[in-house]
Amino acid sequence: MTAATESTLSDSTRPAPRPQRRLRNPGLLAALPVLIFLALAFAAPLLAVLGYSFMPEGTFDFTFPPTIENYHTVFSGSYYISFVKSLGLALVTVALLMVICWPIAYGMAKIFGRWANLMTLAIVIPLFVSENIRLFGWVLFLIKGGVLLGSLQTWLGIEAESILYDVPAIVLGLVYVYLPFTLFPMVLGISMVSREVTEAAFDMGASRWQVFREVELPLAMPGILIGGLLTFILSLGSLAESKILGGQAVIMIADEIETAFTFGQNWPLGSALSVLLILFSGTLVITLLNWVDLDRILGRGRDD
Amino acid sequence: MADPILRLSQLSKRFGQFAAVKDIDLAIDEGEFFTIVGPSGSGKTTLIRMLAGLEEPSGGEILLRGQRINETPANRRPTCMVFQSLALFPHRSVGQNIEFPLKMRGVPPMQRRERADELLRLLRLPEDYYGKQVSQCSGGERQRIALARALAFDPEILFFDEPLSAIDFRLRKTLEKELKDLHRETGKTFIYITHSLEEAMVMSDRIGIMRAGELVQVGAPDEIYSRPANRFVSEFMGEVNVLEVKPNGAGLHCPALGATLQGPGGQGGPGDQGDFAGGYLVIRPEYLRFLGPGETAENQIEGVLYNEYALGSRIQYQVRVGEAVFLVEKLREQRYEGQLDDRVVIGWEARDSVLAPE
Amino acid sequence: MTEARKKRITHGLMAAWSGSIIVFLYLPILCVVLASFSRQRYFRFPVPAFDTKWYDRAFSSLTVRDLVSTSLSIALLVALISVILAFFGALAFARFDWRGRRIYQRLVLLPIFFPQAVLGLALLIWFSSVGIIPDWRTAVIAHLVWIVPIVTLVISIQAYSFDPALEEAAFDLGATRWQTLKEVTLPVLWPGVVSGGLFAFLLSWGNFPLSLFTTGADQTVPEWLYAKMVSGYTPLVPTLGALTTSGAALVLILGYGSWMLLRRRKSQRASP
Repeated sequence: MTAATESTLSDSTRPAPRPQRRLRNPGLLAALPVLIFLALAFAAPLLAVLGYSFMPEGTFDFTFPPTIENYHTVFSGSYYISFVKSLGLALVTVALLMVICWPIAYGMAKIFGRWANLMTLAIVIPLFVSENIRLFGWVLFLIKGGVLLGSLQTWLGIEAESILYDVPAIVLGLVYVYLPFTLFPMVLGISMVSREVTEAAFDMGASRWQVFREVELPLAMPGILIGGLLTFILSLGSLAESKILGGQAVIMIADEIETAFTFGQNWPLGSALSVLLILFSGTLVITLLNWVDLDRILGRGRDD
Repeated sequence: MADPILRLSQLSKRFGQFAAVKDIDLAIDEGEFFTIVGPSGSGKTTLIRMLAGLEEPSGGEILLRGQRINETPANRRPTCMVFQSLALFPHRSVGQNIEFPLKMRGVPPMQRRERADELLRLLRLPEDYYGKQVSQCSGGERQRIALARALAFDPEILFFDEPLSAIDFRLRKTLEKELKDLHRETGKTFIYITHSLEEAMVMSDRIGIMRAGELVQVGAPDEIYSRPANRFVSEFMGEVNVLEVKPNGAGLHCPALGATLQGPGGQGGPGDQGDFAGGYLVIRPEYLRFLGPGETAENQIEGVLYNEYALGSRIQYQVRVGEAVFLVEKLREQRYEGQLDDRVVIGWEARDSVLAPE
Repeated sequence: MTEARKKRITHGLMAAWSGSIIVFLYLPILCVVLASFSRQRYFRFPVPAFDTKWYDRAFSSLTVRDLVSTSLSIALLVALISVILAFFGALAFARFDWRGRRIYQRLVLLPIFFPQAVLGLALLIWFSSVGIIPDWRTAVIAHLVWIVPIVTLVISIQAYSFDPALEEAAFDLGATRWQTLKEVTLPVLWPGVVSGGLFAFLLSWGNFPLSLFTTGADQTVPEWLYAKMVSGYTPLVPTLGALTTSGAALVLILGYGSWMLLRRRKSQRASP
């Protein structure tokens, strides 16, 4: 059909021929509000932190010239202890959660069927209860004379020490708070493994363990890694768990940062610590996000 | 003939109240290409999954060379399945896919590689495909990779769960033939399921037709084509003319046409329909012909040519006789010379029709 | 043992494990509720005597009223703004193909992968360097940085299953771009938008680490609870904790309840 006949046709049915709007892609336009907001409220504050980290100690303003004395303080001081401890706790948390979550995630993705939706709901709901209320609940459970020790003593006559205000309690808190963050990406990852593929492996002679190691684990890896990383980064920068459940047993790196900003009134030092933490976790996050195919995980292969 | 390689007796599978497969008896010979055909929901997938060991039967027995294998899981059966989606491992290269069953059995890498190369040759895949990613291969190539992988550990029986259903028409036609060639080349027993009788016809030595969990008819393709056990089987084969009829002494009375027709008959001459007590008279479109002036046939009907459809080498005509619709098929060279809305006489010989009791 | 039997046992074990994890998740919340009904000033288990006096006190307290109204204002505003931003953000994330999409997807996700306490502090010094004195409104901004990406993700998951041919069909049938958005895109994505809004409200209502540094002189419920937990414990802590928890549950139930009701009424209208 020629252009002429097409326009006469549309002229008879429509008021006026419309311009070819489909050619203009609305993607950037739709992204713009979010991008502008994040530039002002996310990127800009981070730049401010970066700026302050090069200011001399005790300034609350940008001055000239910049200095690297804060970084010197950080590296010559004992901050590395907090960093290493936070790192260790984060790693332990991730490792525990991987083991705890795998059977649940596998069940939710492959076995539980309709029950999986109910489980999702049951796991999401506690997320809406303030983190520190839930952690406080653990204090009530674990504290001397609390739910656990109280019932042990009253009904079984066992006297036991509370694990509260020590490392195990912090790990418990971290595992508790970040469980959904490991679980849900893992569920998405496992649901990417098609049933036929596992059956094919099984049919070709693989044992249950071989199916897991050779097929399910590698295919679910993107989801597992996203969940693991999310948990790792958030535990690394966590504050409430160690404060509420850990007493002063472990000073986390986020604690140090908070102290520098608030009690220490030393913004440049706090900024330098933040910059290092952000650099460390940011590198990990960007590397991983670059590697995974988000469209495939979230959209289940729309762009095939 | 030797004992069957696979024998099913009273095999059944229930999911709760629902009986997916009902008491199937079947013997499959060594080296046979057996195809199970049925519409979706007929239980054919459940059946083949039981044979492969992916589903445990609720009743009956599966005997492999006389040995009961009901409880043997899939990974310990000397059989292998090619899945509908092919189920190639996306995280492995072509070579690693083919070697997978060997790796699972602890075959050392050198031997694995040798076997993989051998299979690549057998399936006419270029040798440098060994390191290629599966996602970079075309549909036909994936098909061959899946076959190579299934053959890798030399299984005794290969199962196929509609592996060609998602492939476009022309490639499918090629692959059907390739599969039959592969069957000849390997001499293995192939058990194939599909919803297309046409596909089954191309490849199989024998065909079993399944409906609602039961085997309705089992036989060689010719047998099924010329003597369908019932209307369901005959309609499954594609477009056919089906007329409801009842014997009336003179022949078969067809209420829709208001005429008495001659059926294929028993031995006692016209009017004798053996023990046929009523059902359907089935006539394939290619057995119908247009009768010119002076031409006659054992059965003749007058109607109106309503439309024509070009089907490649053949042309199909729709002829309306009152409420009834007939399909007539002719080779292009023998096309009907005339116009739509012509009054035409169509006819067929009694021996070209088939009686189906239900 | 047969394969089927083994399978049943494994599945049973998995279900049991999952069930115990659910118990684990709700255990501390139940402890808080239990403590809120205890008459004693300091919690002991087994609870010697129950009482609702702390609830009476909480309901009559002006402090509590202030705290709740601050938290509520923040959460409502966050829900409203985040849904609007995230709706378009999700279209760019999942629906449209455009050149910067890959980078955009990753940029949007970054705040989720960010320690919230550090984010709060960064915002605090940013506000002070541009001369904004923090109050509850700055907390709204802080919450949004973290919540907009989450809501974008929630709506995106809905948008992925969106068939682009629907919009093209509407277009082809003569709808303008705006009409297409209103008549086709929004109704199809509506479930995602509603749950996104609910998510936003609830996450903001319960947020603590972001509020801690960005509310200035104002205080939200979680902040106050934290302050009292760390020093100056009062029995109102479990009481208010239980109250905000039930508030969140109420919003969740009301939200989904009215949504289901609306849908049912709509389908009734469609098929009289």
